[in-house]
Amino acid sequence: MTTGINLPSVETQLERSLWEIGIPPRPVILDQISTEMQKDEPDVHHLARIIAADVALSASLINITNSPYFGFRGHVNTPREALMVLGLNVTGKAIAGIIMRRAFPSSPHLERFWDASARIARLSGWLAQNVTHNKLRADDAYTFGLFRDCGIPILFARHAGYAQILNVANHDAMRSFTDVENDTLPTNHAMVGSMMAQNWWLPDETINAIRYHHHIEMLDATSIPPTLNSRYNIAVAQLAEHLLQRHSGLSMTQEWVKLGESCLRLLNLTEDDVSRLLIDAAPVIKSA
Amino acid sequence: MLYFKNLIVAGRTAKMMTHALKQNMPKPAIDSATGFLDRNSCFAKIAQLASLSTPDQPLTLIWISLDRFKQINQSFGHHGGDEVIVQIAQRLKNKAGPRVEWCRMSGDEFLCIALNCEDAEKLTDDLLHEIEVPLPLGDLLLHPSASLGMAQLSALEDPAECLERADRAMNTAKRAGGGRAITSGDEPLPGRMGVHLAHHELVVENKLHLALQQNALRLHYQPSVDADGRIVSVEALMRCAGHDLSPAEFIPVAEKTGLIIKLGEWSLFEGAHFASRLARAGYSIPVSINVSRAQLATAHFSQALHSALLCSGVRPEQIELELTESLFMDNSMAIQENLRAAHRAGVNIAIDDFGTGYSCLANLKDICAGKLKIDRAFVVALPEDKRALSVIRAIARLGDELGMQVVAEGVENQAQLDALKQAGIHTIQGYIHAHPMPEESLLSWLANRKSL
Repeated sequence: MTTGINLPSVETQLERSLWEIGIPPRPVILDQISTEMQKDEPDVHHLARIIAADVALSASLINITNSPYFGFRGHVNTPREALMVLGLNVTGKAIAGIIMRRAFPSSPHLERFWDASARIARLSGWLAQNVTHNKLRADDAYTFGLFRDCGIPILFARHAGYAQILNVANHDAMRSFTDVENDTLPTNHAMVGSMMAQNWWLPDETINAIRYHHHIEMLDATSIPPTLNSRYNIAVAQLAEHLLQRHSGLSMTQEWVKLGESCLRLLNLTEDDVSRLLIDAAPVIKSA
Repeated sequence: MLYFKNLIVAGRTAKMMTHALKQNMPKPAIDSATGFLDRNSCFAKIAQLASLSTPDQPLTLIWISLDRFKQINQSFGHHGGDEVIVQIAQRLKNKAGPRVEWCRMSGDEFLCIALNCEDAEKLTDDLLHEIEVPLPLGDLLLHPSASLGMAQLSALEDPAECLERADRAMNTAKRAGGGRAITSGDEPLPGRMGVHLAHHELVVENKLHLALQQNALRLHYQPSVDADGRIVSVEALMRCAGHDLSPAEFIPVAEKTGLIIKLGEWSLFEGAHFASRLARAGYSIPVSINVSRAQLATAHFSQALHSALLCSGVRPEQIELELTESLFMDNSMAIQENLRAAHRAGVNIAIDDFGTGYSCLANLKDICAGKLKIDRAFVVALPEDKRALSVIRAIARLGDELGMQVVAEGVENQAQLDALKQAGIHTIQGYIHAHPMPEESLLSWLANRKSL
């Protein structure tokens, strides 16, 4: 790739990837990052310039790199420094997370959904460091938190009756969330989200964790795929959601009733630990 | 290519080890940087400890290969690279404790030999996480990762074989992108277990993984044209852009390794989105998508299909699934249930490569397929082979009687086309009409035909 004057601006790439039909396509910048990653000598400067051309993207990337919830307590000021600190692999994940939200058309009633995802992502990053002792990387936990439910806005846009289905699924204390969706759609947001993640060529663990995040058998299983990493992702994000709901006093779902016990078993935590975490995590929960 | 290099080394490992065992190594040689045993001494150590291994507490071997070490060397110079190795070696040693033996197998590879290890999987995980703790190097914080393969010596097993298993597991971890540990015999890809890939297949598999990471997978589209020149459908075919990998190479390897499920789901999604774009461009031409046996056997096939339909917004009749004939005779409950689900969803179903499998003709009447695609082997034999022509004529009749459309694939020249017409086949797919093309080329091809 030449480094001529006409750098492809990320902004135009985003315009091209605007959500016309189907799912948001994989951002071109992710291709550029993986191309560099395969090289013996990745051209970090070139990537840094591409990112810097998009002011909002650079700001978000710097923000994330400096955020303790992403696992990197850096003090970087430029995209180039962020790239150096995160490495290409993690930068790719960070950018995927940042661009994902922008790849969806903005809509007032989805704002709350995105805010909730962002809160789950931050708390998941914190939990990865404080509960799993980095068995799960904070950046993985954070990214998964953002992507976990990305099937929901897609289905909102694609299926007129989805709000109603979501309402029923949220209140069902017996059947799994995705089973409720399957009865009507007949598919579910976890499947749709995992297919979007697949189309973005995210890591297999992320794809599997998205696909199975309402499957209790995936939390309980011991030796079958998905890998332990996917299972930790699922459990940590579920715990994050539970803590946030307990903190706000608003429990709008039945997921903890159905999955909580398995999550705690996998993470080797007790109910007492959860109460303690609720106190310890208060600064993180209030931080946004 | 790192893992691939290792694999060759592994073959040699067994020989070197046998050699070392015969030799009664006098004194162990130590790697000066890390203080670990060097590669040659490790074999004697393994042999010595293997003799103490019991079924309750078997000898555990963990092969550790640092990921992207070459990049570290290049970014920080060899001095920096050495520094990283020394620090990581020290950490590993501290983490595993005194009852573990360590060897340096190559520049960026270590072997952990543990006897009396209570929980080998936990030790493996612990080592992985120890490596992943960020490491200060100059002003920067480095984030190392590694691929680990763990194997435990089973009764009557040759220690060299166990070492090879650890190496293979590590290579699987490396191929899956690194940053993970895999237990031998526990390799995560479905279909991967017990699959031995030949040397050239490993090269292909490696290239394919690289290509996927770079988003190089594309669908090309080849139209089928009927007697009136109408485009009946376009078949979506997977291609790898810019990686010197033909589908004839990578599809069999993907099938062997289970990767075909992922590729198939991607095609289904991508193909459905293309069908939707075609419709928006004013062409109501169905897009035909190949589905493999492994993909059709997954529990979530129907959900994947419905996700593709829902997300793309395409009408089901604009999608056609191509399945080989043997799938219709398959006894697997999952496959039969998924076939019914596809039919219920309203997508078209085509029987691919018809005539070469072992179909039971009696079953054909019960199959929900609307199209038969004659295997190209019959077409290639035309026009000379009269017996092939007879079979084709019979298939044409059969299709007519059952109300199925019959298509001939792989038609390259006028003589074949004429013979097929004579035999009663009027829908043709092949170079004689068009090669498989990328989306943009197909759209201009369609536009050109329209204006004719």
